[in-house]
Amino acid sequence: MNSSFYLKMAASNLKKNGRLFAPYILMNIGIITMFYIMHAISVNEGLSQMPGAQALSFLLTFGTYVIGIFSAIFIFYTNSFLIKRRKKEIGLYNILGMGKRHIAIMLMLETILIALLCIGLGLISGIALSKLMFLILLKILGFTVALHFSVSLSSVSLTFTFFAIVLLVTLVYNLGHIHLSNPIQLLKGSNVGEREPKVKWIMALLGFITLGIGYFIANTVEAPLQALFTFFIAVVLVMVGTYFIFIAGSIAILKLLKKNKQFYYTITHFTSVSGMIYRMKQNAVGLANICILSTAVLVTLSTTVSLYIGMEDMIDNRFTSDVTISSYLQNSDIQQKVQKLANNAAVDNNVELIDFYQYQTLTSTFVKDGMALKTLDYYNVDSNTVYVLYVTSKDYNQIYNANLSLNDNEVVLVSNNDKFNYPQLLIDSVKFEVVDELDQFADFKKTNDPLNNEMLIIFSNEQVRNQVYSNSSKNDDVEPLSYTSFNINGASSDEIKFNDSLQREINSISQTYMFSKQNTRTDFVSVYGGFFFLGIFLGSLFLMATVMIIYYKQVSEGYDDKLRFEIMQKVGMSVDEIKRTINTQIVMVFFLPLLFAMIHITFAFKVITQLLALFGFSNVPLFILCTFATLLVFAFIYLIVYLLTARTYYKIVK
Amino acid sequence: MSLMEINNLKKVYTTRFGGNQVTALSNVTFSVEKGEYLAIMGESGSGKTTLLNILASLDRPTSGEVLLNNKPFSSIKDRELSAFRRDHLGFVFQDFNLLDNFSVQDNIFLPLVLMGKNYHEMSRRLTPIAKKLEIGELLNKFPYEISGGQKQRAAVARALITNPDIILADEPTGALDSKATDHLLSLFSEINAEGQTVLMVTHSVKAASHAKRVLFIKDGEVFHQIYRGGLTNEALYQKIADTLTVLATGRDSVE
Repeated sequence: MNSSFYLKMAASNLKKNGRLFAPYILMNIGIITMFYIMHAISVNEGLSQMPGAQALSFLLTFGTYVIGIFSAIFIFYTNSFLIKRRKKEIGLYNILGMGKRHIAIMLMLETILIALLCIGLGLISGIALSKLMFLILLKILGFTVALHFSVSLSSVSLTFTFFAIVLLVTLVYNLGHIHLSNPIQLLKGSNVGEREPKVKWIMALLGFITLGIGYFIANTVEAPLQALFTFFIAVVLVMVGTYFIFIAGSIAILKLLKKNKQFYYTITHFTSVSGMIYRMKQNAVGLANICILSTAVLVTLSTTVSLYIGMEDMIDNRFTSDVTISSYLQNSDIQQKVQKLANNAAVDNNVELIDFYQYQTLTSTFVKDGMALKTLDYYNVDSNTVYVLYVTSKDYNQIYNANLSLNDNEVVLVSNNDKFNYPQLLIDSVKFEVVDELDQFADFKKTNDPLNNEMLIIFSNEQVRNQVYSNSSKNDDVEPLSYTSFNINGASSDEIKFNDSLQREINSISQTYMFSKQNTRTDFVSVYGGFFFLGIFLGSLFLMATVMIIYYKQVSEGYDDKLRFEIMQKVGMSVDEIKRTINTQIVMVFFLPLLFAMIHITFAFKVITQLLALFGFSNVPLFILCTFATLLVFAFIYLIVYLLTARTYYKIVK
Repeated sequence: MSLMEINNLKKVYTTRFGGNQVTALSNVTFSVEKGEYLAIMGESGSGKTTLLNILASLDRPTSGEVLLNNKPFSSIKDRELSAFRRDHLGFVFQDFNLLDNFSVQDNIFLPLVLMGKNYHEMSRRLTPIAKKLEIGELLNKFPYEISGGQKQRAAVARALITNPDIILADEPTGALDSKATDHLLSLFSEINAEGQTVLMVTHSVKAASHAKRVLFIKDGEVFHQIYRGGLTNEALYQKIADTLTVLATGRDSVE
């Protein structure tokens, strides 16, 4: 037999198994396209010119790895489906006289054809789309750069090598599979008699318990910092619970239904329940995978979208004014110096400075216990930790041009979260009368930052203040001594120029630092924009994988169910009844994971909002909106896949 | 009045490509009396299976008519056919056609469930049948756990449980060993003795020798028939064998 015979054979095999191969090839092309795009963008030179490029390029490189790992997993997974379905065909070739060596050659040629097709088309579409994706990324980042984007040779060769290796490994796996089995096994390969599964009661119970605990933990978190650790535990518990419930819980429930004779022995339940028992046995793990993937997609997308859209909120939460300059310098003329620099820069750049405040301060960290503030013994931030700023009435009078005079044992308070609301304040057993509580002191005012409890205390004079400070402050950290804050009014391009020039000046002064909304925005945009981009990318990758798993599940089940439905038809089941039964089963198999994913997200809602608070994001309605929107889009795509798959299934069963 | 009448059945298949016509049944006429045990014999390709499919209402004839209790099949709408099948006909197949995902009991219940019977009614009906077919202990097992003979008895139970007008058996002994074959054939004789009409399609002489009447089909036509009369199974066996020899060699019938 000459080699062109094998080539023809391989090509016709691919064509004849189109229903099996087409989705696999499409998925591979999609994955390869994404991998190429991600890598090409991460190594793009234009990227390094962007502000905050480091974080972004780290994110994108990370994304390339993630896509690489997951695409390898998905390709293996799908391939194992394919080879299982083709066992009979290969067994037949073997019996008809093709040696294992010949089959190996045929399979190898098939793999080479698939590899050439997928990598070729994947690279072409990757190259075509990468420019578009790069533009989208720039748009997300709000960055306009003279675009010079070209085909990245390193990306091409990496993509080619990586996927060639992955496909080669699948070939090796398939060959091993074929080599280890005899023709009779191959012929029977896809219809080994299935035993009815036993109920694993303990596993089922454990599943419900772990899921319950996971949900409970996720909903009893009070502090955002606690949330980080709790979230991790809850995720693990919920994942374990999901697997156990899908594997054992589902069968336990179905068996219970079966035991209920009145329920079980009716047309609709009879075939569905017993059919579902087998489906769950074969598919529990796959469905649990789908459920977890879907949850991951939904969480990733809704949070990244929320963070991206809510960026301005987060910046406003973090900064009460456009620019804050803090200095650790002891000498007192630093304030004048900063003021002069700011004013000069303002004049140079045509902007106006408003709400200009300067004050001196000392800070300590306390634990709040009712009306008492206690010095921190060890550093442990929780919801009772209060960050306290000490100022004097002198600064207050200067800023507000007021005439506040306090006795030595009197104070005025400003809190960033809830009001203090006690008539007296105890600072490490020294008692002060609270004369007044203000809403604002300079740029210190109410913020939406549940993570930071801050309190500003106005003392009568420096002497009292320093006394309290030296008594209570155990931590040796050097804290800022003077603050300057102001808002900027002007054209946005001028504001940027102003920021840049002032930043340069301030950077040249030692121990003095400038924070501005503008600079933070640039950082945020590159980080959260990167997240957003990555989220959408990974989201679509996972979605594609989900779709693929579902498709192959239904197709392989269709082949298994064909015979079953033929028998039922002979025994007297009408076509309508068969269709209805098929429908209930497909709908259940399809929407069970989605339903569980939705339940997971509902229960995860609280802990996720707490986590978002860690990023300074507190716009809960926006998060709800984003979650709903992603859920809707996801469900819509899911529905389309369902309709397509159900159609293929009917075609097979008929 | 006959239970089942088959008048001038003709079935012509048109191949999918090219329009070649193959005549499976050219002109088949016979009738089945109530309480009869009829075997239909013929070689592979003689049209047996086509005939059975039409009798089972799984297929429609090109021309001619089948009547059950004077009701022509052609008067039944497509969507009512499956209900008609499960109410009036019982099936026993060569490869059992039991569903792997149901226990033996649930397999037997399947037609009753489709009829919408409740559980008490179902188990009331099952008890005597299970006893007669000696499958009482198999009821909670699954098809892959029992032998071929046991599977076929379960299939017979499934056919009997609806009290059908007629049982249609398609090579019921085809996948059984000789012991299980004997058991099954004596079962058929037994249920026939109790008044159940049985129509069996087979090419096993042994299976046919248990029937009260044997019908021979060749090239899509009823070629010959033998009545048992007072013959023993053995004598009938010999007579069938002789007839088959004549059929195969093509001479006129020996009567």
